[in-house]
Amino acid sequence: MTTTAESPDTGSTSAAPRVDCTADSAGGLTFDVVATSDTDATLVLRRHGANPGGEVRLPLTPAAEGLLRAVLPSTVDLAEGLWDVCLSFGTGPGQRLQPGVRDLRALVDREPGPDAERIAVRIPYPVRSGELAVRSWLRRPHAETGTLGFEGPSVTVQGRLYGSEFGPDAAVEARLRGGSGRVHRVAASTGGGGGDFTFTLPYAPLADGLDAKEWLWDLWLLPGSGCPAVRLARILDDVPLKQAIFVYPGTKAGSAVVRPYYTGANDLSVRVDAVRT
Amino acid sequence: MHISFLLHNAYSLGGTIRSTFNLAGELARRHDVEIVSVFRHHDEPTLPAPEGVRLRHLIDLRKNGPGYEGDHPDHLRPAKVFPRGDGRHSQYSRLTDARIGAHLAAIEADVVIGTRPGLNVHIARETRPGVVRVGQEHLTLTGHSYRLRSEIAHSYPQLDAITTVTRADADAYRALRLRGVRVDAVPNSVPTPRVQPASGESKLVVAAGRLTPVKRYDLLVRAFAQVVAVRPDWRLRIHGAGDAFGNERGALRNLIDDLGLYNHVFLMGVAGDLDGEWIKGSLAAVTSSHESFGMTIVEAMRCGLPVVSTDCPQGPREIIDDGVDGRLVESGNVDAVAAGLLELIQDDALRLRMAKAALDSSRRFDPAAIAERHEAVFGELHARGAGDRSAGPLREGLHRARGAALDGAYALRHKAASVLRKGQTA
Repeated sequence: MTTTAESPDTGSTSAAPRVDCTADSAGGLTFDVVATSDTDATLVLRRHGANPGGEVRLPLTPAAEGLLRAVLPSTVDLAEGLWDVCLSFGTGPGQRLQPGVRDLRALVDREPGPDAERIAVRIPYPVRSGELAVRSWLRRPHAETGTLGFEGPSVTVQGRLYGSEFGPDAAVEARLRGGSGRVHRVAASTGGGGGDFTFTLPYAPLADGLDAKEWLWDLWLLPGSGCPAVRLARILDDVPLKQAIFVYPGTKAGSAVVRPYYTGANDLSVRVDAVRT
Repeated sequence: MHISFLLHNAYSLGGTIRSTFNLAGELARRHDVEIVSVFRHHDEPTLPAPEGVRLRHLIDLRKNGPGYEGDHPDHLRPAKVFPRGDGRHSQYSRLTDARIGAHLAAIEADVVIGTRPGLNVHIARETRPGVVRVGQEHLTLTGHSYRLRSEIAHSYPQLDAITTVTRADADAYRALRLRGVRVDAVPNSVPTPRVQPASGESKLVVAAGRLTPVKRYDLLVRAFAQVVAVRPDWRLRIHGAGDAFGNERGALRNLIDDLGLYNHVFLMGVAGDLDGEWIKGSLAAVTSSHESFGMTIVEAMRCGLPVVSTDCPQGPREIIDDGVDGRLVESGNVDAVAAGLLELIQDDALRLRMAKAALDSSRRFDPAAIAERHEAVFGELHARGAGDRSAGPLREGLHRARGAALDGAYALRHKAASVLRKGQTA
């Protein structure tokens, strides 16, 4: 009787090569792939999703023995969205890469100067299938949210505006999703200087007249200097998917529970859920 | 030497698997090493398999695969050799009994190493003569049920050596007085991280481990409320998956909300690459009520983080040199945890000094150094010859009687049952 089922899998012959990533505080990324450079190797960032909008090809050059390096400088635009990371030899489409070490410590508390013209954020992380992707945000201007406070049935948000100036009548709008055109506006105070702002959004008006299972309100900052509305978002750190991590308490308002949340794109919204009685 | 590991499931995730892979990979530099996995449910191991190590399995549980054996009639009958006291008994069967038994009876190795009590019992009872038998304990003897301890006392006398991960656990095994069985404490190893150590300048405390009650993250969150009252600029990240049973994650979420810590304490979920998370912090925290070893403490130290840990049994106090490369604080005491964290948060120079000491002292857990200690144990036993341990049924009976005398009536009953079973299977 044979006691064991022999199988040929010896050692770690993982199919996809690994790539190490290092982020710098300006938004640049360095990719290191263990491979030799006998052919022209290219690191390809390919726009993920239904309408593939493009491709960024970065040359891989020898950085050390058996190590190839590609650099994505912060100055190279990467449209907002998810980008697959592939390794290509020659002109082929290339193969997806597995994440190796991700040194993203420089992203943890990113503080661009308040006069930063445009905010470029690129966070490399493994998607659900385990392969490496880069989530990119490119915003100008940008309204970054910070701490959220809860006093009574309302939320108070602190934030900072980059790439634009405040006028005398800065405000925040909650816009109901779904095309009803409902908008609720509160004043934003901008006393602190350096782009800092804060506003308090009472919940009652957001829950008033709730006629659905849920209402989702998207929050926009209106700097007030003729500048178009800026979507509130939290992107200046190393966390690509905020929704399950930055979680806030719900508060009863009328016959609803109201709570702020981050969308899949890390934009700040407020959800109003009907309470079943 | 030809060294053969026997592992529950090499294709899954877990501390024992990681530790076995590390050790096997190091040993494979100088020896012929194989890992035999009782079960296989994936095509590829989840953790990167060690280079130069042969990996094979005894039972194929890959659903939809051509070799699937999960519906084998013998696999539906409860195991008899694999001890009932081992928490994995329900996953074992007559089929595993037969396959493991046949594997050990025919094994072509100089040293065979078991990695959990149930497999150690198999090795003690069924390894063919002439092979050195080593049983590894990755948890602790005192943490096992009475039933399992009885089974251990009954079977382990037929091992050549037991290795534990702490000195305290080695002492517990020595107290069993298993005659002729060598007991050595060899800690788990942690490889040198591939990232540069933490700079120590971020205002972030990092904790990591499965969200289960034994980790006492509730204690850590409460302690962090005291930290935030003094230093609102510091934050805490807890990495780890929720518990499959119970709802520790939900309980922690509620606690964070109740304490108003949603801007300061974050439940991060599973981290694919923990080293990449440690280096973002400048201080690590462990608040468990029990740690068999304390793998995350060593991992954090190897990334250049001093660790504030509760002085719980058994591992932390054998890893941390209190006041030198980290802090040991009273187990279960919120104020003590908060004070320990604040001591290192408020004093940057002290924190950086301890960080450097942690980096230096944790080198002793390097896989090469740890593998050498295991290798010395295996080598000495191999040189002495394993014949002593496998002198046939007489010797076996002697050990059985001794185990029975130690553990009283329960073990006697067990022995009687096992003699009966032997009669049946003969």
